[in-house]
Amino acid sequence: MQSESARMASAAEARFRIDAPNSKPRAIKIIALDPPSERVVKRLAQETWNQASFFTASAFSGAPAKGASFSMTGWLSDVAGRTTDLINEVTSADLVVMVATAGENASAAAIIGEACSAKRINTTGLIIGGAGTSDEALSKTLAQLRPWSLMLVIASAEDYIADMLVALRA
Amino acid sequence: MLRKEQNDMLTQTGPGTPMGQMFRCSWIPALLAEELPENDSPPVRVKLLSERLLAFRDSEGRLGLVDEFCAHRGVSLWFGRNEEAGLRCPYHGWKYDVTGQCVDVPSEPAESGFCQKIKLKSYPLIEKGGILWTYMGPPEKRPPEPAWEFATVPDRQRYVSKREQECNWLQAMEGGIDSSHVSFLHRGDLHSDPLFKGAKGNQYNLGDARPVFEVVESDGGLYIGARRNAENGQYYWRITPWVMPSFTMIAPRGNHSVHGHFWIPIDDENCWTWSFDYHPIRELTAAEVSAMRDGKGVHVAVMPGTYRSYANKDNDYLMDRAAQKTGASYSGVAGFGMQDASVQESMGPIVDRTKENLVSTDNGIIMARHRLMRAAKALAEKGITPPGVDPAHQKIRSVAIVLPADVPYKEGAKEALVAKPGVAPATV
Repeated sequence: MQSESARMASAAEARFRIDAPNSKPRAIKIIALDPPSERVVKRLAQETWNQASFFTASAFSGAPAKGASFSMTGWLSDVAGRTTDLINEVTSADLVVMVATAGENASAAAIIGEACSAKRINTTGLIIGGAGTSDEALSKTLAQLRPWSLMLVIASAEDYIADMLVALRA
Repeated sequence: MLRKEQNDMLTQTGPGTPMGQMFRCSWIPALLAEELPENDSPPVRVKLLSERLLAFRDSEGRLGLVDEFCAHRGVSLWFGRNEEAGLRCPYHGWKYDVTGQCVDVPSEPAESGFCQKIKLKSYPLIEKGGILWTYMGPPEKRPPEPAWEFATVPDRQRYVSKREQECNWLQAMEGGIDSSHVSFLHRGDLHSDPLFKGAKGNQYNLGDARPVFEVVESDGGLYIGARRNAENGQYYWRITPWVMPSFTMIAPRGNHSVHGHFWIPIDDENCWTWSFDYHPIRELTAAEVSAMRDGKGVHVAVMPGTYRSYANKDNDYLMDRAAQKTGASYSGVAGFGMQDASVQESMGPIVDRTKENLVSTDNGIIMARHRLMRAAKALAEKGITPPGVDPAHQKIRSVAIVLPADVPYKEGAKEALVAKPGVAPATV
């Protein structure tokens, strides 16, 4: 007689699996940190997503000096160029994905990361670096993203971002 | 999640499928050398990539991997007589050499040349590193021989095993690049298994239970780095290379041997899990080899005469609920290998990835699927050789290393990630 594990792992038994949704859409906020990434994010925003929203922080030029107070209000822009409140966006997110291009200034990661940390929101950092990217350029961007990313991906091409968002049901 | 057509594409490896074509670009492990121990030893049935084959070593030591069935009436040549430089079907005496060429049809006059018109499909079979490797692609695209370091070190520095796994290759392989499951499924075993315990790196694991992951593309596939805090603001990195389509290596611990896996499709609902241990610069000790034979580390104890684990789905993996309850074992299943197999087989023969809910820490898996699909498409549409076939992609190592906080590990461990004969591995 077959064991329960043997019977239940069969292809025949697979048809009795519950066929009902097992999750609710997650709110994923994708934020471009620099101008080249902004172009990528704007292209992605044209596609159809469940509950993904796209922003840019590329206008921000630097993190506050250590110990300086700062306001995170009115900090992001959506893809139409409207200013939006960072804390509000982070608060309503299940995951924040920060997109940076190797060699570009990604200092906005510190502010976004701090906001996510305060609100206990998971962060993923995504660095786009083609084959021609120098180690120095990559190091620079990595140093800015690493402290604020619970998951960091260095991808050779931007097409990974769309695949990742689909995989995450964004 | 994957769309159904993507899941089908990645999980189907039979002839003519995109992923099947990809596996047919490389030398893949077919048998352990011990399965054909001597000239004229019994032939062995082999199913790979949904093709039924038969392996044999002829009277002169030549290796053959041919269509399992006689061209005459379809009898399995497993019943054949391996003698006088060929395999003879016991039904009517048709005889084949290691290339599948029919060399004798007793009922036909020799001078008729009839047997020259009969040839079974066959694939090359070569011996390297205790493994018989085959290449199942077009002869004109035969790649250079396997260059994996474990297969090139002296025999006494290596141990290789294999076991049947009753699920699709992809869900088994994805376990190998899913570093975050180690903290749960294998909890406790790191500190008791003789092939893992005692390394300084284990203290970093204990001291920082929330590793942070970084996924970086490599020429052959990916590096998956797990980062933990070390002294003086530095990071302890464990770097797992994945080489397409299905090779992974686990980061070393102390002076223990290094281990890794291949997952090779038998058909779409079963695969071989190949496991190896080796040390680049020293022989394995008798105690290490004994532990490996007993199913410690990444190996499993198999039933004699088979490559099936003692613990398997027919006996509920010898699930020990008492050990699970007391915490002696987190999963209740003994050993790394069957802990992995038990959960992966429970997903069903081919898991329905349209229903899964991946999270951020699954980016290694997401990226691996992305790269597999991209490479399979490039091969199918443009004939581009996929990553992993080039021997340079195979000369890699896993690494355990402490690095300054601002260093990209791909850069900081650049030298250590390359296999160099006679050079000690980077390990903590």
